[in-house]
Amino acid sequence: MSSRKLEPFTVVSIIGVGLAVLGCAVPFWMIISGSFTSESELATTGYSLFPADFDLTAYKMIFTGPAVLDAYLASVFITVVGTALSLAATSGLSWVIARRVPGISRPLTIFSYLPMLFSGGLVPLYLLVTQYLHLQNSYFSVILPLLVMPFMVFVQVSAFRQLPESIFESAKIDGAGELRMFFTIALPLSKPILAVVGLFYAVHYWNDWFMALLFIDDVHKFPLPLVLQNLISNISFTAMLPQLAESATPVYQLRLALTTVAIGPILLAYPFAQRYFVKGITLGATKG
Amino acid sequence: MSTLQTRHESQTSPPSGPPARRRRTRGKVAARTSWSLGLLALPAVVFFLIFNYLPMAGLVVAFKEFDVNLGIFGSPWNGLENFAYFLESGDAARILFNTLFLNVLFLGATLAAGIILAIMLNEIRGTFFKRASQSVVFFPYFVSPVVISIILQVLLAGASGGGGAVNDAMAGFGLPTVDWYTEPGPWPWILTVVKIWQLGGYLSVIFLAAITGIPEEVYEAGMIDGASRAQMAWRITLPLLKPTAAVLLVLGVGRIFYGDFGTIYAIIGDNGTLFENTDVIDTYVFRALRQLGDFGTTAAIGLFQSIVGFVLVVIAVLIQRKYSKETSIL
Repeated sequence: MSSRKLEPFTVVSIIGVGLAVLGCAVPFWMIISGSFTSESELATTGYSLFPADFDLTAYKMIFTGPAVLDAYLASVFITVVGTALSLAATSGLSWVIARRVPGISRPLTIFSYLPMLFSGGLVPLYLLVTQYLHLQNSYFSVILPLLVMPFMVFVQVSAFRQLPESIFESAKIDGAGELRMFFTIALPLSKPILAVVGLFYAVHYWNDWFMALLFIDDVHKFPLPLVLQNLISNISFTAMLPQLAESATPVYQLRLALTTVAIGPILLAYPFAQRYFVKGITLGATKG
Repeated sequence: MSTLQTRHESQTSPPSGPPARRRRTRGKVAARTSWSLGLLALPAVVFFLIFNYLPMAGLVVAFKEFDVNLGIFGSPWNGLENFAYFLESGDAARILFNTLFLNVLFLGATLAAGIILAIMLNEIRGTFFKRASQSVVFFPYFVSPVVISIILQVLLAGASGGGGAVNDAMAGFGLPTVDWYTEPGPWPWILTVVKIWQLGGYLSVIFLAAITGIPEEVYEAGMIDGASRAQMAWRITLPLLKPTAAVLLVLGVGRIFYGDFGTIYAIIGDNGTLFENTDVIDTYVFRALRQLGDFGTTAAIGLFQSIVGFVLVVIAVLIQRKYSKETSIL
């Protein structure tokens, strides 16, 4: 295979993939590079591929003031607590479905996949959270509506079903109950897939801004994406008033620096987590 | 639930004791089993009931004149008035068209991009380059829409009004610059490019997994027949990706009436000049809810959206089932 000479199609493919890689990587580079570029330089060029002088003004502002730190902590809380709760709820449900218990597993499958096809929409959810559960300005208003993703149940069920049935049969003969089998056999054996599902949830919570936008009004409680959203929502004005960028606060550099801070954890964890994501998607897509 | 369970048990445990007693222990085991299984499923079931099924019941608000003080079920009925209000508002035709048009565009473009990228990635033999490029193109999927919005600003607006990397590049080619954020015309295409950027890599991972599942002999046969790599991609890989594409298409069709609120709202926000071409049902509903506090009309739109979406999914599933029974998702 490796000795065959390069065909035109292979060459085209390599070029195509190369362009796609550049297209995906360069925007991030521009953001990161721009965050180290001084506001005055940004105001003239608008962006930068290489900062002429290494300027840390925006980062100093971010890390000395409490506002961004609070937002960071809020995002961390939502991500950590949310992921833990999601994992617990998802794996419990998935185990019951995976066990193929007659009369329970199948209805439960339909029960959990139906929300993918039909939903009550925004208004009832909004009324539910604000008028009935009174969760405004609580981080649980962000966590709870996203608690179980049907697709993750999909992934987890197919992973549980790949565990050898014989283990559970012999455990049953030894008198182990369902709870015991779940906690002492199924979960420890499923650590890799728990990592997959957990990472997906974590990214989801870290990035979420829609629930926060709906339910969190208190500026001091904003998670990171909402702070970012707040900074950019007046883009049309900024675009129309170039002199605004000249003012004392480095608005534009601040935005880019905050963006870098927001994608930072994902960017750092990604090289290690990447194969888990691929594995999760493949499992969900081919075994469904 | 206990029929199979009990049968199973009688196979594994030797028969002992009088029949009556045996049945009683068996019943106890079954009860304990269902009890503990119920406990495991409980949190998720409660979640689905409260956050998915209860809101479905809450859709009755679409037929009511909602009053916060009276609550959903206490508010007076007003028949189809909310629906009429929406349909007569003059916005209905525009946002329905935008929703359908944009989503069809997104769905077709992202699927095509995913397939093309997967086939191209499959051509690359160097494992490191292949893995590295797959990782990079997959990355945008994990980025918040808010971040995407900022990237787009850097590219299209820059810090000063008419700047931005795209305009600079266009000026370099002698093209006139465009004030993107005040020009609604190109936005459907800009958003499509954003969706491709966001989902192309993700979909390519799925399609690449499907390609890996194609048996090697098929390609060997092709090679013996003297097919070029391009011919094999076109005549072997592409047709064999159809079932995967069909499943993704069906799932996508189900979402067609949901306007991908996150990405569109993060990018467009309340920039009214762009609404003409970018306002979809979800963004419209959100604004109506936030700015006007009009619960009845927005719920009516939501109900309409859910029903049409559901019907579309059922139709799509039936069509897909007819053509390929073995890959049907339901």
